[in-house]
Parts: sequence; C-alpha cells; structure tokens
Amino acid sequence: MISRRALELATAILTGSFGVAVVVQSLDNGIGWSSAGVDSGTFPFLTGIIIVAGSLYNLARGIVPAVSLASVPIAITSIELRRLAGLFVPAAIFVAAIPLLGMYLASAAYVFAVLAIPRHQSVVRSAVTAAATALALYVVFERLFQVSLPHGALAAALGF
Amino acid sequence: MDNLQELLHGFTIAVTVPHLALMAVGVLLGILVGVLPGLGAPNGVSLLLPLTFGMQPVSAIILLSSMYWGALFGGSVTSILFNIPGEPSSVATTFDGYPMARDGRPTTALATAFGSAAFGALVGVILITFLASWVAQVALAFGPAEYFAVYFLAFASFVGMGGAAPIKTVVALAIGFAIAAIGIDTVSGSVRLTMGIDELVKGVNFVVAVMGLFGIGELLVAVEEEFHARAVSSKIDWREVFRAVGRLPRHSVALLRSAAIGCWMGITPGGPTAASFMSYGIARRFSRRGRYFGTGEVEGIISPETADHAAGTSALLPMLSLGIPGSATAAVMMGGLMIWGLNPGPMLFVDQKDFVWGLIASMYVGNIVAVVLVLLTVPVFAALMRIPFVIIAPLIVIICVVGAYSVSNSYLDVVMMLGFGIVGYLFKKLFYPLAPLVLAIVIGDKAEDAFRQSMLMSKGSLGIFFANKLVTCLVVGGIALLLLPLVLQFVGLWRKPALPAPETTAQEKVII
Repeated sequence: MISRRALELATAILTGSFGVAVVVQSLDNGIGWSSAGVDSGTFPFLTGIIIVAGSLYNLARGIVPAVSLASVPIAITSIELRRLAGLFVPAAIFVAAIPLLGMYLASAAYVFAVLAIPRHQSVVRSAVTAAATALALYVVFERLFQVSLPHGALAAALGF
Repeated sequence: MDNLQELLHGFTIAVTVPHLALMAVGVLLGILVGVLPGLGAPNGVSLLLPLTFGMQPVSAIILLSSMYWGALFGGSVTSILFNIPGEPSSVATTFDGYPMARDGRPTTALATAFGSAAFGALVGVILITFLASWVAQVALAFGPAEYFAVYFLAFASFVGMGGAAPIKTVVALAIGFAIAAIGIDTVSGSVRLTMGIDELVKGVNFVVAVMGLFGIGELLVAVEEEFHARAVSSKIDWREVFRAVGRLPRHSVALLRSAAIGCWMGITPGGPTAASFMSYGIARRFSRRGRYFGTGEVEGIISPETADHAAGTSALLPMLSLGIPGSATAAVMMGGLMIWGLNPGPMLFVDQKDFVWGLIASMYVGNIVAVVLVLLTVPVFAALMRIPFVIIAPLIVIICVVGAYSVSNSYLDVVMMLGFGIVGYLFKKLFYPLAPLVLAIVIGDKAEDAFRQSMLMSKGSLGIFFANKLVTCLVVGGIALLLLPLVLQFVGLWRKPALPAPETTAQEKVII
C-alpha cells in the first residue's frame, strides 16, 4: 500500500533531482552574459531553478497535507499495485529483450506470455494472437512503410 | 470578404477525391484511438506523423486534423455507451450521457452529443475563418520581444486558468523546457544537458515523450481500476437521430454559451478538458433543470460536448496564426508542421495560402464526414470495446514501443519512452498537468530563441519587454495570469465560508 503523501513526496523528490541535475549541467555551459549574448546555459539554468523551487514547495505541501490530500490517504492499494506491476513488469522485460531477440520475436513472446501465463486465454489462442501480432508488425512496417524495426542480436548471429 | 474568397479556394483543395478519402481514413483511425482507452488523440497523431513525411503538407495536415476530429467523437461514444471516457476531455459527457443511455435512450444520447459537438466545431471553425488571418496580420509586425511575450502569456494562462495546482503546472512547464533544451543548442552550437549520455546529443523528440506520457501512462491508470465494460445496447435508430438533432435548437442558449466557453478555452491554452468541465459546471448552475443534472439531462450532454469540440477546433487558431498550439494534440501537429519544413506562425498566411485555407476548408468538411462516419460505425466500435482489456493492453504497449522506436531508429528512445510512462502515471495520479509539459517540449526552443534574440537586441536589458505598448500589455497580462491563483486564494481566505465548488474535485481528477 502506498499513501498519497508518500507518492507526492516521491514525485517531488524525482522532479527536484531532475532540476538539480539540470542546474549542475547548465553551469558547465556557462550562465549569464558574454560577448556572444546570453550564454547557452542561462535558460536551462533558470528552468532548473524553477523546477527545484517548485519541487521544494510540492515537497512541503506533501509533508503538511492540505484538507483535500487528507481525504484520500491511500493512493495505490496493494491490489492496484499488483495490477500495475502485472502490466509494467512484462512491458519492461519486453523492452529489455528487444536488443537480443529483435522487435518481432520479442513482441510475439511478450503477447504470448501475457496472455497464456495468467491463463487469460488458452495456449493455442495465445500463440495465434502472438503470431498474428508479429506478422502484422512485419507487414505494416517492413513492407508497407519500409521502416526497418530492430531484428536483434540473435537474428544477426543466425545470419538474417 | 477576402477571407471568404480564400475559403472558397480552400474548398477546391479540400474537396477532392484523395483528400476526402484521407479525411475518411483519418476520422476512422481517430475514432479507433478515441475509443481505445490508453490511446488518445496526441498518441494517434504522433503515430501517424512518420507516415506523412512523403505527403504534401496540406494532405498531411488534413489526415492528422481529421484524426483529431475522429478522436474527439470516439471519446464520446465510449463515455455514453460504457461510462468509460475514451479521452480525458469526454469525462464530463459520462455524467449525463451514460445515465440517459442506461435509461434506454442511447440513440438520443449519442445523437444529442454528436449534434452539439458538430455545432461546437462549426463555431470554432467559423472563428478561425474570420479571426485567424487577422491575428496573423497583427503578428507579422511582431519582433522577438513580442514573440517571447506571447509565449509567456500562453504559459502563464496555463498556470492561471488550467485548473490544476498552479505550482504543479509550473513544475511541469519547467521540466518541459529543460527537456527541450537537451541536445545541441541552436544558437551557440554547444551541447547541453546530456547527463553524460552521448546519444542524447540529438535531443529528446516530443513523439517519444507523448508515447510514454499519454500512452503508457494512461494505460497504467486504466489497468489500476479493473475494467468492466457494462455496455448498453448500441443499436442506432435513425429516426430518433433526426428527432434528437431537431430538438437541439430548443437549447440554443446552452449551445451558444458552451461554444463561447469552448472557443475561449481553446484559444487560450486551457484545452478541451478544462473547457468541457467548466461548461458543464456553468450549465448546472444556470440551467432551470440544474438539479436534475447527472440523471440524463439533455443539457448535461450538450454543454460539455459543445465546449469540448469548440475548444478542440479553436486550439488550431493560435497554432496557425502565432505558432503557439492551444492543446497537446495541436502541439504534436505543430511539431509535424516543423518537420514538413513549414514555419508555424503568421508567415503561413503569406507563404502557404493553399496550406492554411485548405486546412480551414477541410475542417468544415472533415467534421461533417466525422459525424456521418461515427454514427455509421457506432456498433462496430462498440463491439471493439468487448475485447478484453488484457488483450488490448499488450497491443497498445507494442504500438507505443514501435512508435517511439520509429521516430529515429533509436533503442534509447524506447527506454526513455518507458521512463516517460512512469512519469506520466505519477503525474496523472497526482494531478500534475501533462499538456503544458508537452507544449513546452515542442515550443521550448522557439521561446528560448525569442528570449535570447530580444536580449541581443537590447544588449542584455530586460527593458525591451516594456519598450512599447503591445509588448507591455502582453507581459503585464501574463504576470496577471500568473498571480491569478494567488489572488483567488487570498480572496478565498478573506471570504472564508465559501463552499468548495463540487465540480472542482471531479475536475481535478482528469486535468491532463
């Protein structure tokens, strides 16, 4: 279970650290005024400062919750968290597998795994859906639009 | 009357067989992404973008804008028949649309929605027809300082009128600007904000951000609440369609008021979502039958739908004449314009007359095509909603992955897209607005260039932003909008017993 407050704080810290990174990086480019006009780091530097300041405000608001925040103490219940993970984790594994398996094999495996393992569909129907997905991708992108999707290290090793 | 002549010329471009076919394709694809939860108009338009590179710009924009109309209509279909808004901007339609459909009047609800939507769109297009070229003419005299002031005004109006928490809007905007700055700086040629990753030199494409923020993010929000599509009958009774549309003029006050709200929110970048909620809230307060709202009132459907479409249409006005998109989808389209080699802004009205007037004429025709097609295809798309979500979800993930990859054949883009997905989910969950983030990514560079050019002109003095009446008005207006939430808060504290408006809580849930 994740409370609304924890989620607010985590997000504020996330945006804040992005802001800090922007500020630090833009200092390398130089901020302020030089002979060539405004230095290239100035604008990002200012946006970084705004992000940090805004995040600090949101952080403070998260620590001292307003009335509207208190009315929704729980942002994500454990059941919802499981559902989120059920969608996101396979998707992340799918993306991680693309360099090795290539887009076609990876997406077929992804569809098959998501449908067959939790028994949403029978194995045969999952396999058919998976094959159809890969085939549709191939026809639409490789053939119709002439966009080459990654074939993967495995296919390269096998000589495709 | 020049405008009318140009418009007639535009019709000769728009009403040709290939362009009508493109409209039909665009509208159908638009309804598809509008119906599917997790895919929306910004995604759909970004997905189609790579396919338009070989086209004439006018054909390309007709395809993309038709998709936008289709998506706006498609979102209403699922709102009414399934109580599931396919688009954030059609959430307000569920309040009265679904109860009416459940009462056994789905045709009446759909026809009322489409009729008033078409009216809203028509008002928006008429506004563009007569106002856009005038605005562009004024804008032709703009220098960099004026441009920066207009950008500033646009961003300030998000903060002042967007409806989300002001500081969260500011953070979202600033993050968008920082993301836009990643890569090679166009003025000095130096590399910025790559965080040590060499591949980031090419910058972050807005399509990658849109795929993640709106695609994966929305999917995560959708999967969290388990989906139960309890559909009502989706049969269309054609006689009832005409009867329902015939009854619309009786509600002309609501129609006109909602259209006005929609146009205002579309031109200032409030966006369709805020417009539909505001219009619904105002209608409930002023309608004689206001207390029956939520039980299937006709005006409860008319108000959000008219405002939604009026805002969606008029969001293209500032995009065409100033180069500032009024909504997230318009921002994506503007990115397309830049890729096709056009320069969004007042020069379009001078250099690219065929493009501008072809587009405006196509908006009249496209909306008619959209109404007809959406009525014809309601049963088909309603059947699509009965496909289990577990099958649709992985397919949408694959579409987003392929969409992000095909932007520049980069695997890093895919990984970033997934990261944007998490950000999109968190932002949606915590009511950070997403539209200003996308807007800032698309026009961040232009705003920065305008700022730096004006600084060069004034040799580093901020006085250039107060150098003449026009630019002073714009800047002061922007500052006023920025301070508006603060002032309202003080007024609220002063008049303590003010009741919290009931619609704000519902609205907060869906502001994107």
